[in-house]
Amino acid sequence: MSEQVVQVLDWAGIVCILAGALLSFIAGIGLLRFPDLLSRMHAASKPQVLGLLLVLVGIGFRLLPVEESGVFSLGTLFLVGLFQVVTVPVAGHIVARVGYRTGRIRRDLVSTDELADRLATRGSASDPSEDTVS
Amino acid sequence: MNALQIKKKIGARALRSRIGKVQIPVALGMTLVWMLLFDAFRFRPETLGIAVLGFLVSVVIMMVFPLPPIVPGFRFWPLQGPYMVLYILGKMFAASIDVSAWVLRPGPPVKSSVVAVRMRTDSDLIMVCVAIATSIIPGSVIVEAAQPGRILYVHVLGAQNDEEAAEAKQGIYELEERIARGIGTRENIAELEAALAAERRNA
Repeated sequence: MSEQVVQVLDWAGIVCILAGALLSFIAGIGLLRFPDLLSRMHAASKPQVLGLLLVLVGIGFRLLPVEESGVFSLGTLFLVGLFQVVTVPVAGHIVARVGYRTGRIRRDLVSTDELADRLATRGSASDPSEDTVS
Repeated sequence: MNALQIKKKIGARALRSRIGKVQIPVALGMTLVWMLLFDAFRFRPETLGIAVLGFLVSVVIMMVFPLPPIVPGFRFWPLQGPYMVLYILGKMFAASIDVSAWVLRPGPPVKSSVVAVRMRTDSDLIMVCVAIATSIIPGSVIVEAAQPGRILYVHVLGAQNDEEAAEAKQGIYELEERIARGIGTRENIAELEAALAAERRNA
C-alpha cells in the first residue's frame, strides 16, 4: 500500500478511537450525574457500546495496512463487537427488571408508566394465564 | 437377541435422535465464528482443514448440548437485511448524541417514561431481535418482556410527556418493521402488512 493511503487510514483510525473514547467518557459522566438506577443504566450501557464499536473500527483502520498482524486480526475485532452487542442487552435487561420490580426507581422522574398499570391489574385479578418470562 | 445387542440398538437410536437435533444453518454460523477465531479467511494452505474441523466441532457441540429449533425460522432478505443493519447503526449514532446531550445538559434530572409495545409479528426471533436492537440503541432499556402477549415494556430516557412517549413507541414500531422485513419469513411480513393496513384504516 502506498504511503499516503496508510496515512489516511491512520488518521481515520485516530479519529474513530478518539470519538469512541469521548463517548465512553460521557457515559462515565452520565453515571455520576443521573439520579436513579434506570437512567444510569442508559448512561452505563449505551454510549459505551457505540464507543467500543468506534474504538474497534479505529483499531481495524490501524491494523489494515499491516500485512502480518499475527493472532489479533480483523476477524477477532468483529467477534469482539458482535459478542458485545449480543450480550450487553441481556445483562441490561436483568438489571432493569430487578430494579423495577424491587421498586428502586424514582416515581417522580417517570412521566408515563404503562407497566405499572399492568402490574397493578394483574395483582388484583391474579390471572394465572398471563405470566411473564424473561 | 442378547443384552449387548439391545444396548447397542438403544445407543444407536439415541445417537440418531441426537443427530436429528443438528441444525445445519446454525452449524454453519458456528463454523463461521470458528474460522474468524482462527483467522481462516486469509488464504493459507490449512484454510480448508480449519473449515472442516470447525464444522465437525459445531456438529458435536449441537449433539452434546441440543437446543430447540428456531420455530418459525428466518430468512435473510438481500436488500432489506443490510438496510436493517444500516438503520440500526444510524439510530445508534443519532441516539448516542441525544443521550450525550441529556448527560451534559445542566439543570434538574431528566424525566423518562415506560411504554408498552405490542409486537405485530408472531415470532420469538423477531421479538428477541427487536429487544436487542432497542437495548443497543441509546435511550431505551427493556424493563420487562411479556411473552404470551408479546409485549415489550421499554424505559425511554427523555420522554417527558405523553406525546414524546407515543413518539418513542412509534420509533420501536418502525424498528420492528425494519427487522421483520430484514430477517422475517414471508408469513411474518404478511402479518406486519396486515397490521399496517389495519392501522391505516383506523387512522
